[in-house]
Amino acid sequence: MEKYFFIAFFVIFAIWYLSYSATRLDRLHHRVETSWANLDGLLQRRAAVALEIAKSEIADPASSLLLTAAAHQARDAQMSARSQAESGLSGALGLLLSDGHLVNGSIEKDLLRELSELTDKIRIAIALHVDAVNRTQMVRAKAVFRIFRLAGRAPLPVTYEFEADVL
Amino acid sequence: MTLKSLRIGLVCPYGWDTPGGVQSHIRDLAEYLISKGHFVSVLAPVINEENIPEYVVSAGKPIAIPYNGAVARVLFGPIAFARVRQWVSNGNFDLLHLHEPAIPSISLLACWAAEGPMVGTFHAAAKRQKAIFAIGPILEPVIEKLTARIAVSEAARQTLTEHLETDAVVIPNGIYADRYRDGEVLDKWSGNTIGFIGRFEEPRKGLSVLVSALPIIARFAPDVRVLVAGPGDHKGVIDEIDPQLRHRFEFLGRISEIEKADFLSSIAIYVAPNTGGESFGIILAEALAGGATVLASDIPAFDSLLGRGQYGALFKSEDSQDLAKVAIDLLRDSQKRKDLSRKGKDYAQRFDWDVVAEDIYSIYEMAMVGSSGVTLSSENRAWNRFLGREGN
Repeated sequence: MEKYFFIAFFVIFAIWYLSYSATRLDRLHHRVETSWANLDGLLQRRAAVALEIAKSEIADPASSLLLTAAAHQARDAQMSARSQAESGLSGALGLLLSDGHLVNGSIEKDLLRELSELTDKIRIAIALHVDAVNRTQMVRAKAVFRIFRLAGRAPLPVTYEFEADVL
Repeated sequence: MTLKSLRIGLVCPYGWDTPGGVQSHIRDLAEYLISKGHFVSVLAPVINEENIPEYVVSAGKPIAIPYNGAVARVLFGPIAFARVRQWVSNGNFDLLHLHEPAIPSISLLACWAAEGPMVGTFHAAAKRQKAIFAIGPILEPVIEKLTARIAVSEAARQTLTEHLETDAVVIPNGIYADRYRDGEVLDKWSGNTIGFIGRFEEPRKGLSVLVSALPIIARFAPDVRVLVAGPGDHKGVIDEIDPQLRHRFEFLGRISEIEKADFLSSIAIYVAPNTGGESFGIILAEALAGGATVLASDIPAFDSLLGRGQYGALFKSEDSQDLAKVAIDLLRDSQKRKDLSRKGKDYAQRFDWDVVAEDIYSIYEMAMVGSSGVTLSSENRAWNRFLGREGN
C-alpha cells in the first residue's frame, strides 16, 4: 500500500514539475519577445534620426548619401540581415560623428543629443535582449525541456549579433 | 522624467530602521522618485512601526541572521509571504524594483509572488561561495523572472555572473552631490589632517591599518592629526593606540550632513583603509564630491570607483607601510593633492542622483515595454496557453 502512495506522490510531483518548467519557459519566451520589441522600437527611432541627420547641415553630401542608404537598408532589412544592416548604420553614423567637427544651430545640436541618448538606450536594450536570449537557449538545452518538448512550437530565439564596439 | 506618473513598488530586504547602504539607497531613490511625481511604496521589514515614513509599508519584524560576515536583518516565512502577496495584489503597481533578490528575504519572496515588469538591483560583492552554488538551481528560475538586472558596481556584477550566470547593467549608487559641493574650510579641521568617516569599531573598516601606519607618517609629518568621525565607542580603540600618539587622534562622533561637507573640504587627505566586504564605497563618492583628496585601499570596489587610481590614490590593502608611504607623498605634495581633488570632484558628479536616477528610470521604461502592470504570479500560464486561453 505504501508503495502506491509513494508512486502516486512521485507522479504528482513530476506533473507539477513539468507544468512549473513549462511556465518558466513560457515566461522566458515572453521576455525575449518584449525585449526584442523594445530593441526594435529603439532601432527604428535611430534610423529615423539618422535620416534627419542626413538631411541636416551636419552631413556633407557624400556622408549624407552614405547615411541615407544605410538608414533605409536598416529599416527594410529582413530579420536575418537585420543585425548586419544595423551595424552598417552604426558604422556610417560613427564615421560621420568621429571627426568631431563643430556643430552650430540648435536643431542640429538637438538631433545629436537625441542620437546619443538613443545610443545609450540601445546599448542597454541589447544587453537585456541578449541576456533573455541566452537564458532561453540555456534552459531549452536542458534534458527535461528537450525530452518533454516543453518549448512546443516556439522557435528557438537567435542571438542578435551586434558589433557593440561600433556603437 | 517627464513621462506619465507611475506606480512603483520598491522592496527592501533588510530592516528599514537599521543603518545600512542598501537601506539609504532605497530611501534616497524613493524620495527622488516621489519628488518627480511618481507614486512609490516601499515594502520593508520594520522593527519599530511608529516612526517610519508614509511611503513605507511594514512586512513584519526582521530576524537577525549571520550573513556575509555581518549580521543581516532579513525576513521570510509564511506570514511574510502572505504580506508580500497582499502588498503586490493591492498595490496595483506598474513596476516592481527588488533590491538584493538573491538573498533570503522579502525581495526574493516578492520575485516569487509577482509577475510582470520587475527590475532587480544587486548590491553585494562576495567571493565565490559554495552555498550559493548549492541553492543556485532553486534561485535560478526565480531570478530569471526579473526583466532587467542592475548591479551597483563592477564587483557586484562579477559576483552575479559567477554565482548565477547572468549579466547586469552597471548603474552606480547615487549621492546628493550638491550637498557636499560647497563645504567651508574650517580651521579646526585643516592643516596636515587625515580624515576617516565610518563605524570605526568594525574591523573591516580598517581603522587599525591607519593606526599602525601613523608612527611612520608622524616621523615625516610631525604635525599630522587624524580626525575620526562616525558612531561608536572610541575608548576601546584608544587603548590600542601607542600612548605617545594618542593626542594626534580626535574622535568627533557622528557628524551631520552639513558638518560632513565642511569636514571633507577641510581635511588634507581622506583615508578609506577598508579591508573588504565593500561593494561600492558610497563614502568615497561623497568624499570626492566634497573635494577631498582620497587615499583608499586597493580592494576591487575602491579600485574601480577611483578609476585605477586616476581620481584618488590607492595603497595595498592591509599594508600599513604602503599606506604610510603614499600618505606622506600626498601630504608633502600639495599640487598633486589639488590635482586629484579637482579631478575627483568633477568625476563624482556622475554619481549624483540626477544622473543615476535618470539611468534607473530608463531601465524602468525598458522593462515596462508591452506590459500591463504587475500581477500575482500564476503557475498556470503554460496550461492557459495550451488550452488556448488568453493569459499573461
